[in-house]
Amino acid sequence: MAKVIRDLADTSSYWAAVWTMCAMPDVHVICDAPIGCFNLVATAVPDYTDSIPHIENITPSVIRDEEVGGAGTGEAVKRTYEGLRDEGMIDGKTLIVVSTAESEMIGSDLTDLVTQLGEGTTFFHSESLSDDEHVGRDRVLQWLWENYGADAAQGIEVEPGLVNIIGPTFGNFNSPSDLHEVKRLIEGVGGRVNIVFPYECNLADIAQLAKGQVTIIMYKEFGHTLAETLGKPYLYAPMGIQGTTNFIKELGDLLGTSDQADAFIRNEKKTTLQAVWDLWRGPQSDWFSTLTVGIVATKTYAEGLKEYLGDELGMPISFVAKRPQKVGEMGNEEVRQQIHAKAPSILYGSINERIYMSEAGATRTTFMPAAFPGAAVRRAVGTPYMGYRGTVYIIQEIVNSLYDTLFHVLPVDAAYAQSRNGAPTGMSKPAETTQIGNMPWSDDAKELLNKHLENMPYIGRISASREYQMAVESVAREQGATEVTLSIAELVLAGQRE
Amino acid sequence: MTFKADIELKPKNEKPCQLHPQSMCPAFGSLRILTRLEGSHPVMATDTGCLYGLTFVTHFYGARKSIVAAHLGTEELMAGEVVEGTRAAIEVAAKEPGCELIPVVSLCVAETAGLPEEMLPKKIGDAEVVLVRVPAYAIHSHPEAKDIATEALLSRLADVKSEKERKTLVLLGEVFPADPLSIDTVLRKMGVEQTITLPGRSIEDFRRAGRAAALAPLHPFYKKTMALFRSWDKPIVGGAPVGASGSYAWLKAVGNTLDLDPKLVNDVAEEEREKAQAILNAQPLSGRIIVSGYEGTELAYARMLVEAGAEVPYVSTSIGADPLVLPDELWLKQRGTQMVTYRKSLEDDMAALEEFKPDLVFGTTPFCAEAKQRGIPALYFTNQLASRPFFLTTGMAATIGFVKQTLERKNPYTFMHDFFEGDEEVVHG
Repeated sequence: MAKVIRDLADTSSYWAAVWTMCAMPDVHVICDAPIGCFNLVATAVPDYTDSIPHIENITPSVIRDEEVGGAGTGEAVKRTYEGLRDEGMIDGKTLIVVSTAESEMIGSDLTDLVTQLGEGTTFFHSESLSDDEHVGRDRVLQWLWENYGADAAQGIEVEPGLVNIIGPTFGNFNSPSDLHEVKRLIEGVGGRVNIVFPYECNLADIAQLAKGQVTIIMYKEFGHTLAETLGKPYLYAPMGIQGTTNFIKELGDLLGTSDQADAFIRNEKKTTLQAVWDLWRGPQSDWFSTLTVGIVATKTYAEGLKEYLGDELGMPISFVAKRPQKVGEMGNEEVRQQIHAKAPSILYGSINERIYMSEAGATRTTFMPAAFPGAAVRRAVGTPYMGYRGTVYIIQEIVNSLYDTLFHVLPVDAAYAQSRNGAPTGMSKPAETTQIGNMPWSDDAKELLNKHLENMPYIGRISASREYQMAVESVAREQGATEVTLSIAELVLAGQRE
Repeated sequence: MTFKADIELKPKNEKPCQLHPQSMCPAFGSLRILTRLEGSHPVMATDTGCLYGLTFVTHFYGARKSIVAAHLGTEELMAGEVVEGTRAAIEVAAKEPGCELIPVVSLCVAETAGLPEEMLPKKIGDAEVVLVRVPAYAIHSHPEAKDIATEALLSRLADVKSEKERKTLVLLGEVFPADPLSIDTVLRKMGVEQTITLPGRSIEDFRRAGRAAALAPLHPFYKKTMALFRSWDKPIVGGAPVGASGSYAWLKAVGNTLDLDPKLVNDVAEEEREKAQAILNAQPLSGRIIVSGYEGTELAYARMLVEAGAEVPYVSTSIGADPLVLPDELWLKQRGTQMVTYRKSLEDDMAALEEFKPDLVFGTTPFCAEAKQRGIPALYFTNQLASRPFFLTTGMAATIGFVKQTLERKNPYTFMHDFFEGDEEVVHG
């Protein structure tokens, strides 16, 4: 059976190449692309993932009918190069030509052509037809090092205390905040940040990675190949209380600053982490065990959120779907079915999961952005998921969402809704609030109501319980019934989602 | 007033080098239309990078709709499994609740590999399967892909066999939801019995359009759809109900085409023209504006702004030069527009920015970013202009009022520019 994709979660390695290379201002990329592959990767999507007007250091060859029909893309790329050269747009920059799915489809290999372009121009075959963005980033980082770093790195000595960071690139969810926090942790341990490759460096500087004593890999999805090649001890950026504590201790060991690392942890408990301790000791944490959590995110985030919320704070985890999806792991099709059947109280995910929530009418589920695709501004550095600050931010958002839910549970006089809809003030009260005494429910009707309520997030049940009861009883009264029967309850509840 | 020479008269080497063409991925135009239809569940045939980008923008601008696709990687392409994969995706889409239509959107990679129509089912269960071919390498702008999708759906769905509804008019073009209401109201006063707006939310509208008497394209890039209506012997109403003179002429043309009572039509058209003129008099615009989107509707907007008193020296669009836009181009050039650029690039727009020093820019996001960087008020055409009422007097009042307000909002643009680009570290209040 052929493979069918439902709402892709990961883009291709061509995007990875552009989003990695173009993060460095001294690079210019010619993408061997039709107009669409240029517009989407350079403008339409990074407008909403990275909040930038457009990526400026990329130019398309603009593949048209002629190129696909047999002419090949060589001439188009050459023309593009000459235009850029004549306009002075690549002066002092390193030019890299990158293949796309379409140029690969027509077999356009420009390895030879680039030698005829400006000196030092290279061709990166992005393997866009076979590799996803994570494999792609891993490969392009390694390729950049081999082509632009390794030789110059010969003879550069390690400088004790310097720490490299590999990642992020464009298109990594929430990266400014996470990077900011990882830097803070490194400095707290007594290290100094060396190079952040590629997000905050020039291509010309990457040989300096050799100076680092330790490498931090931001994400489990990519960067490990280069970290291995650099031959330095490496750690992954941490999430959760335990994960972050282990990270600090290990980094302290590697840098020979264990005392400072321990002191940092002690101090963090009294400062940054005090909020987590306070919320834990306060009434807020009592809700935690009633909150079900669904997680769809990159492996890094998915595992980190599960450890923190599930293992450390004791929230029941409904499901975890890691991206990129590995064989045997939960795909979007299953995630969708799960959300349709029983949506969790809190759902971490991308716009895909949000759409499944909309289909399911899961209005009582709180959506927490945790992954791309989806439009999200994440440029303030105060929203980390990683590190100690991440533990505070995550829990703060969860508790605020509870407050929000509770607010909507509280009753508001129905007369306001009536007057908003044009009814004269002083009009009689709505029927359900003037009803004297309780209306009796038959056992099977009650059972049906309970079944409906069980399928929804715990806190939402309080208000839903009242809303459903009122809706059913109002129909019962209209029908002149003296008791709510199963058939009345069925009639009304069938129309209610959840 | 004197005008500078048209750029086309300049020596060729002075034309800016066109490096960065400006258009949304063309295929998005079709996806937007196809996902918004109730009961329509598109299947995409393409590579993963393309799929990611297109579903991203579709989930932002199109609909909250899950999208399935054939997995087309090296393995599938080498094994020649494009058809097999697409058929599998069609099976999945057909299971969606209420599925009536499965448009198969075939993009660059699938088109290059080959996706023969006869290898796809025409129907699955009750759902029609319609192939829509929109490779970006062959279609150069997203407005044109809207035309391709609309034509493909009409070819399959339109009911041209039933009796013709002699006083029913099809309005063609994605417009602000309030626009069809105001157009319909005015047309009914003239004796039109029914209007249908395509493309909208209803598949049934595509069926019913086959019974209509005539087609009125509100946007100038529906060439294939127009050809289809001509092939059904249904006349086309030229122009669009834009501005005072444009609306007057359009209403008269509708009257002629549908053979409505000339006296009644004339009264309604005169009344609209008077109301429009009153709006123009009440809210005259003054200022120099560049109109430079990629929606294919830019010339019509420029025309309205000029009628309202603005100076519009430069208009650019992503669509190609075409007889359909020629009347607007000529109209504009007779009233001071010096340059109209088709299939424009960022470099064209930048050259115009340097030359004309506008007070306000409506453009693409990269172009607007450049304008704002110079302290010039600039708004993304697609999000801010193309998403407001525009037609007849109601639309005109909304659009002109908005432009007028924007022209008066220079201060924040100056403040932000001075702060971020100025020499001084502190901006004095």
